[in-house]
Amino acid sequence: MLVDVEVNEREEIPSWLAYGTPVFTILAALLVGAVAILAVGESPIVAYDQMFVHTLTEMRNLSEVMVRAAPLILAGLAVYLPMKAGLWNIGAEGQLIAGAVAGTLVGLNVSLPQYALLPLMILAAGFAGACWGFIPAWLRAKWGINEIITTLLFTFIAIELQLYLVRGHMQGGFGGFPQTDRLSEAALLPSFTGFDIPSSIFLALLVVAGVYVLMEYTRLGFQITFVGSNDEAAEQAGMSKFKIVLFTLVVGGAFAALAGISEIAGNRGRLQASFEPGYGFTAIPIALLGRNGAFKVLLAALFFALLFVGGDSVSVAMDVPFALIEIIQALIILFLITAEFFKSYSIDISVGRAGSDPTEPAEVTAND
Amino acid sequence: MTTDELLRMESIVKTFPGVVANDEIDLTVRKGEVHGLLGENGAGKSTLMKVLYGLYTPDSGSIWLNGERLELEKPQNAIDAGIGMVHQHFKLIPRLTVAENIVLGSREPAASFRENGSEEGLVAKLSQSTPVQAVASRFTLGLEEPSHRIEGLADRYGFDIDPSATVHELGVGKQQRVEILKALYEDVDLLILDEPTAVLTPTEADRLFETLEELTEDDLSIIFITHKLEEVKAITDRVTVLQEGNNVGTVETDEVTKSDLARMMVGHEVLFDIDKEQFDTGQPVLEASGVRATDDRGIEALSGIDLTVNKGEVVGVAGVSGNGQKELAETMAGVRTPTEGEIRLKETDLTGASPRTFIDQGVSFVPEDRNRHGAAGDLSVMHNAAMKEFPDEQFGSGLRFDYDEVEEYASILVDEYDVRGVDTVKDAVAKDLSGGNLQKLIIARELHRDPALLVANQPTRGVDVGAIEFIRKRLLEQRKQGTAILFFSENLDELFDLSDRLLVLYEGEIVYRTTPEETSHEEVSMFMNAGEREKLTAVDASETAAAREGVTDGGKQ
Repeated sequence: MLVDVEVNEREEIPSWLAYGTPVFTILAALLVGAVAILAVGESPIVAYDQMFVHTLTEMRNLSEVMVRAAPLILAGLAVYLPMKAGLWNIGAEGQLIAGAVAGTLVGLNVSLPQYALLPLMILAAGFAGACWGFIPAWLRAKWGINEIITTLLFTFIAIELQLYLVRGHMQGGFGGFPQTDRLSEAALLPSFTGFDIPSSIFLALLVVAGVYVLMEYTRLGFQITFVGSNDEAAEQAGMSKFKIVLFTLVVGGAFAALAGISEIAGNRGRLQASFEPGYGFTAIPIALLGRNGAFKVLLAALFFALLFVGGDSVSVAMDVPFALIEIIQALIILFLITAEFFKSYSIDISVGRAGSDPTEPAEVTAND
Repeated sequence: MTTDELLRMESIVKTFPGVVANDEIDLTVRKGEVHGLLGENGAGKSTLMKVLYGLYTPDSGSIWLNGERLELEKPQNAIDAGIGMVHQHFKLIPRLTVAENIVLGSREPAASFRENGSEEGLVAKLSQSTPVQAVASRFTLGLEEPSHRIEGLADRYGFDIDPSATVHELGVGKQQRVEILKALYEDVDLLILDEPTAVLTPTEADRLFETLEELTEDDLSIIFITHKLEEVKAITDRVTVLQEGNNVGTVETDEVTKSDLARMMVGHEVLFDIDKEQFDTGQPVLEASGVRATDDRGIEALSGIDLTVNKGEVVGVAGVSGNGQKELAETMAGVRTPTEGEIRLKETDLTGASPRTFIDQGVSFVPEDRNRHGAAGDLSVMHNAAMKEFPDEQFGSGLRFDYDEVEEYASILVDEYDVRGVDTVKDAVAKDLSGGNLQKLIIARELHRDPALLVANQPTRGVDVGAIEFIRKRLLEQRKQGTAILFFSENLDELFDLSDRLLVLYEGEIVYRTTPEETSHEEVSMFMNAGEREKLTAVDASETAAAREGVTDGGKQ
């Protein structure tokens, strides 16, 4: 049997495909996931109802989605901005941890009123993340050393440094757990009572707006886009690739660091030695899905937050193991990313048995 | 058809969008001859050979080898038929050994699985069974047999090559011999060599020529692609000259002189009527002295260039590709920093200045490779239109960048320079434009700013006829506006028609300075290919006449 697969780039993407793809793919992933849920003896409809409808309709869950979304948005932008300049920031996780450590250090050791302390913590975190981004950026800009590797390796440095600090200098005096003391009230991001909306989401939205303005309304954004598309042409046009590489990775690092401190000051309240939320890695698919604009990153991050919170609530409410929830989440992400491929390429598969297909034997003789 | 004919290609036509690369080309190759294929860049030599090697499917025409018609769909078909090709850029895997490279794609299973018939018993039988053989041929590699054969071949033709040596340890000359061995290993009757001397030193080239002679003694035929006249004279028996996709003629090498070949190669294209007004040129705009620069690999490509381009003057630079044109253009446009020497623009010293400074001082540049250096293919026409002018105040002051203004500016360029295929400048993507239209957009961008100096490296290459004419006219109009133009081309007709002065670049030096009125195509071609004037002392009339006859004969074959 002969299977012939032909892959061609679509010249034009039909509009039904462009808008329909995310819907189709999520449905397809849920369908595949349903098989797994059935296999453990639960109803997929109830599970999905719990996962999406309940999460979106209950205020408590919605607030939780926003708590999760804030760091995901910020980390997503940390990957998105360098991506626009043609760079892969794989180390958002490290920059996030660096920010969390620096911000917590300030929060624990400086006593100021809240309106001064919080900005100071955010600044310290941003600075630490920027430093974490700067070294790979400089290595890339000056010597062309692959940023994928350096940013990733800097994540491990950040993790180990955090372990060292939280088990040593920063460890709290209580119970011998490897964690810091709880941050004082002044060092915690306030939640808007009554609505239960975490303030970290506002920080994230502010940064989204900033990135949007940068990319759409400034000269720098134009240059970032150009360097990202064709760096050689950009350099011949008098743009400085050096500056663009430094700028995007350093600012990206700062964004990731904001994700770190917003998670600590807005959600956990203290830094634990095992703090590796994984947001920096989830940020990569978020940035990929949202690569066409800052607001798309925002949407992608919100969707991921919904998946995480919904998944948690399913595993609590039903007899579905959490591993299964992770499988469904992974399926959706995987389907969404592969869908991009099907959107831009058309695939023709023709199956025929040798002999029954009249063109096949003819070709064989022609080759002889 | 004569008996000693090996290959016959008949009426081969191959077109690419907007270009006829091969226009009804005929070619015959005899057994045991070295057949030269001569032509300028873009004459269609490589296309024709890629058709012959099964890399391109011709639009029409037929190929006959040993009297049998070939249908070539992929290189494997050509290899099976007995045609081998040594590409200009070697297709070897550096980390594998010579033997491994040679048997790639046609390897044999390890010795223990090979049929030898002598062994009996279960193990031997089992090792010969079909499934075991299928696995063995896929997952084992026997190199002893091939190594012996390779050694035998190497001995026969005097190659000192060790089959177990790793390819990346070998020099370029040896790597080329590995390529040749690889073809010979497939028992070819016809070997195509694509500009084989381009990468060789003169000594290595001499050795290659010796090898080729030995190969032809064994009745192997060789097609030797080149644009160097000396090599044609040195090695070939007959030569076919291509020009702009047409076969100009096939001649016996002994019967023609280098200057005959040069004339055949260059031809005389009937050019569009270009109305070039004469007027006095003005002050020097670009002055370069003693400029040296290296290419991308760090090898010196320019060895002391002095040149001046005056206001309202077109200085044309001729040269065979790879003699430093790219580096000269880039150095003068400020995107490549010279290692030595001085570049002055209107008395301002710009040596070592940034690309931005050159642009701000009024230097425009049309690079050779428009897709790589001239535009960002994935971005919109609007983005590309503003690629150089983006810092200008008209697009917003300070940090602000107003895309509405950019859109308007891009639309003006598109209208004024007749860039077609643009629906809206915001949505049309640069890579979707045809070559000619993208080039027009680039020309528009570079000329609309009314530059003091324009450096244009082959602005009309690979674009359709309509765009060629348009671009040439625009260049001359710009000259009238007083722009100094440094213009690179491989098309001599174009150079002669557009230039006020002509320079010939050969191996990184300017070897000839002249004007179109004082020189001829042949003379310029001679300098381009040899770096000096060939002594045309006693090319007597009879020899030239014989050559002409040869030309017509060949053409009618």
